This record gives sequence, C-alpha cells and structure tokens, in this order.
Amino acid sequence: MDIDELTNLINIHGKAVYGFCYRLAGNKEDADDLYQETFLKAIEVIHKMDANQNPKSFLIAIAIRLRKNNRRKFAWRQRIAPTAELNEAVDHASVSEIEATPEDAVLSHELRGLIQAAAERLDDKLKIPLYMHYTAEMSIEEIAQALRIPPGTVKSRLFKARSNMKKLLEVEST
Amino acid sequence: MNDSDKWERMLRQALASPGEPEEKLNQSILNRVEERNSMNHVYRKRLSTGVMVAILTLVMSVTAIAATQFFSSDQVAVQLGEKILAKAFESSDAIEVNKSVDSGDYKFTLHGIVSGAGLKELNESNSTNEIHPERTYAVVSIARQDGRPMPKTSDPEYGEESFFISPLIKGLKPWQVNIASMRGGYSEVVLNGIQYRLIECDYVEMFADRGVYLAVSSGSPFYNSEAFAYNESTGEVTAKSDYDGVSLLMDLPLDKAKADPAKAEAYLKELLKEPESGTKTDPAETELANRIEELKKRLADGKVIPESVKEVTYDKEGRINYEYDGWSVKLSPEMLFAEGQTGFSDSVQFSEADGHYLGLQFHKDEKGVITGMVIDLK
Repeated sequence: MDIDELTNLINIHGKAVYGFCYRLAGNKEDADDLYQETFLKAIEVIHKMDANQNPKSFLIAIAIRLRKNNRRKFAWRQRIAPTAELNEAVDHASVSEIEATPEDAVLSHELRGLIQAAAERLDDKLKIPLYMHYTAEMSIEEIAQALRIPPGTVKSRLFKARSNMKKLLEVEST
Repeated sequence: MNDSDKWERMLRQALASPGEPEEKLNQSILNRVEERNSMNHVYRKRLSTGVMVAILTLVMSVTAIAATQFFSSDQVAVQLGEKILAKAFESSDAIEVNKSVDSGDYKFTLHGIVSGAGLKELNESNSTNEIHPERTYAVVSIARQDGRPMPKTSDPEYGEESFFISPLIKGLKPWQVNIASMRGGYSEVVLNGIQYRLIECDYVEMFADRGVYLAVSSGSPFYNSEAFAYNESTGEVTAKSDYDGVSLLMDLPLDKAKADPAKAEAYLKELLKEPESGTKTDPAETELANRIEELKKRLADGKVIPESVKEVTYDKEGRINYEYDGWSVKLSPEMLFAEGQTGFSDSVQFSEADGHYLGLQFHKDEKGVITGMVIDLK
C-alpha cells in the first residue's frame, strides 16, 4: 500500500476508527495510541484482508485485537474512570429525565455521560458490538464480518447490551 | 415514538463518535509509514551497492556473453552474495525451469527453484527460521519487451513499478496464503538491463500434490484481488485478463513425491489460526449459547412463513445467497452442510424484536437443492 492509498483510507474511515478507539480506550491518550497502532498494523497485514471484506471492518477488527493484546496497559485507567463518571452523572440526572426527554431534544450532558458510563461497564462481548454499531456506525453484516460471528449473534449481543444498560441505569438512578 | 425507538435514538446520540483524530496524529502515521518505506529502500540499495563491485568485475569478464542472455539461478545467487544457495541451485535437488511468459510491457522468466534448510549465508537471527527451517527459493527475471533496460538499483526510477511475485497454492485463498504470509521476502539485482529477483518463503514443496502456481502482478508488492480471481468451489486461481497491468500465473513444476499432506495441514493450521480470543468462555457467552439451544428446541413448534420459503441462488464464487424481509445471507454452502448431508442445517440464525423470535434455517434435498425459510417461534 502506498502513501496515497493510506491517506485515502484515513480520510474515509479515520473518524469512525478513531471514535471506536476512543470509546474502547476511554481516554484521549490511549485512543491516540490505539488509533495510530491500528493503521500501522493494517499496513503490515493488509495482504491478509479478505477480498470480500470491507476496509472499515478490517480496521476495526485490528483495533479490537490490538486492544486485547495491550489490555494491561489500558486497564488501570478504566478501573477508576467509569465509576467516577457514572456516580457523577447519576448525581445530576434522574430517571424521570430519561422518561421525559422530548422526542427531538438533544440529550443533556449528564444523561449522555450516564449512558456512556453504563456502556463502559458492559462486558467486552457486548460492549464491542455496541460501539461498532453506534460509534463506528457499522451495519449488522459488517460487525458479523469483523467479529467472524453470524449476524444473528450480533443482533442478540446488541439486544443484550441494550437491556443490560437499561437495567444498569435503572439501578444506578434509583 | 415507542420505548425501543427512544432508546435507539438516545444510544445513537450518546455513543456517537466523540470526535475526529487530530490532523497531527494522522500526519504522524503517514510520516512513520514513509520513514519505514524509505528505510526499506535504503536497505535494498545498500544491499545492491554492496554487490556492485562484484557485478562490475563479473560483467567485465563475461562481456562475451550476448546482452540478452540470462544469468542462471546460481549465478544470480552468487551476485546476491548467497554462495551456499548458489551451490544448491547447481545441485540435483534444484529444478531448472527457464520458462518465460509475456504480460503487460514485460517478459517474466522463472529460472529455477530449490528448497532446503540452512541455504542462506546469513541465517538471520530470525526466529521463524528456527520454527520452519526448510525454505523454498526461486529466481525470476523481469525484462522489458521493448528491449530497454530495467532501471539499475542505483537509479531513482528503480522500484517505481512494483511487482508481486509469489507462490500461490491451489485450493487455498490467495490473499491468505502467499509470499507475505509465508514469511517470505526477496532480494534483487539488475544485470545487463534485466532485473533478477530471488524470492524465498516457507517450504512450498509440501503442497506439491495440490498444485502450486507462481503468480506475478504489477502495481503493488502485495496480493491484489484486482489482478487475480479465486474460485472457492474449484480452488483454481486465474489471472484476470481485464486487469490493467501485469497479471500472470505459471505452474511450478514441483516433484509430487515431495508432497507432505500432514506437514502441510499442520503448517496451515498454524498459519491460519486466529489470535486467541480470550482465555475462558465468559458467562454471557455461555448464557447466549444456552439461549440459542433453547430457541432451537422451539423451532419444531414454530410456523414457517410461506413467503420466506425460497430456493437459494449462487454467486460466481459458489456462495449461496438468500434474501427475505431484511435477512440477507451470503455464505459458502459448506458452512451449512457437511458433504453428503441432507435435511435441515444445524446452524440457525435467530432474530428478535420485542421478545418475538424468528429463526432462519436452510434445507437441502437429495438433489442438492438448498432452500431457505424463516420460522416464526410463537
């Protein structure tokens, strides 16, 4: 792959990959590291890309694998951050706000934080497809391809992620 | 707006990408890649200037040889400083090929192949050599059809046109198994206007019974799916005639007696294995598996949606396609049915909305006709 092709790849998929790395890593510093490593690794292993695979699925799959390998490096920050964030968010939001949000209103800062924190608390099996779908804006098919699991399994994991978050938010808010 | 739509909207807003990568971050990736690329060039050039003195001496002493005459594999190995390998190319174990094929603006010649352990002068402190001591080496030359010389390794134009030259194995996905994944590499030297490439990779003779190609394409040093087509059902690779550039395949005349299916199988298992996906099955996964088993039990009492019963279609790669009301499945039939298996597939895909489950299952009759259907699990 030459520089032009790489620039192209970054221009098209950079935002989605970065967003995904940010959600997964939980802070800017680790997100920057993971994003950079993802593209550098992609260049090394581009020959392994399945001819039918789309580049976004390929890049996201690399980011997931890299994060798994570097887990210890990222772990300590994650232990502290989400809990603090969630408690803070809970202090400022009430469950009635979730119920009463007008259809077109933009989510309040607090509620946004509450949802993000609940997502971070999920197990990786549920969290990863959730971020792939909502942050990297990947379709069920694309997620299935990247994780090498059937689309039905992706749907079940997303369903479970959503219901677990709902439970978590209800518990934390009461 | 119902509860589930509201949730969907909130999740989209709350989990949307938090921002774009900073410009300097993208630039740093590009810089690092450019740095790596230029280091490769320096290495190649240094390697080539290192042997230039030897080449000059040799060129002077062989001026009697006609300009178009090729150097043999062992002579090329000598030029690249590989004396042991040169001897191997001279030995009876080596296969002399000397077969040429024209493609694009070039003429490619496969000169010879040899396999063995410990043939390289510098047995690099490369751990892969210890794991796979036996390697295969081949010499391929590239000449311009219009007779103009190929750029010397010291010329700035050298390397501007990049080539992928690699063995490919019949029946194995070429983007997965090629010189790059088989821990391969190459060194090059330009002699009398002809570019010679010594390629090496893990031992390919173990695949001799399957059939091994030598593939050449231009435009990238990596496998390019625009230059070749792979037929999943026959395992054949073909060069695409509409590719704008070089795209060719030659059969490597390997000795079938040297095939070692058991070794090949073990090698592929290691090569294609997925990175470990976690240490233990986590409870959520087990729970999900149990839930799927429960749903499968309910299939028998479910009701087949008549409009969903459709015979599948096949694409040119031999994969089946099934589409119905938002379900879209494209997969290889072997993933559903073992050879000779008829009846319903073991694998079922489930979808759920508001506690209401649907399952997609396939059926294969004795004539081999595959039908897909969606079952409503009441």
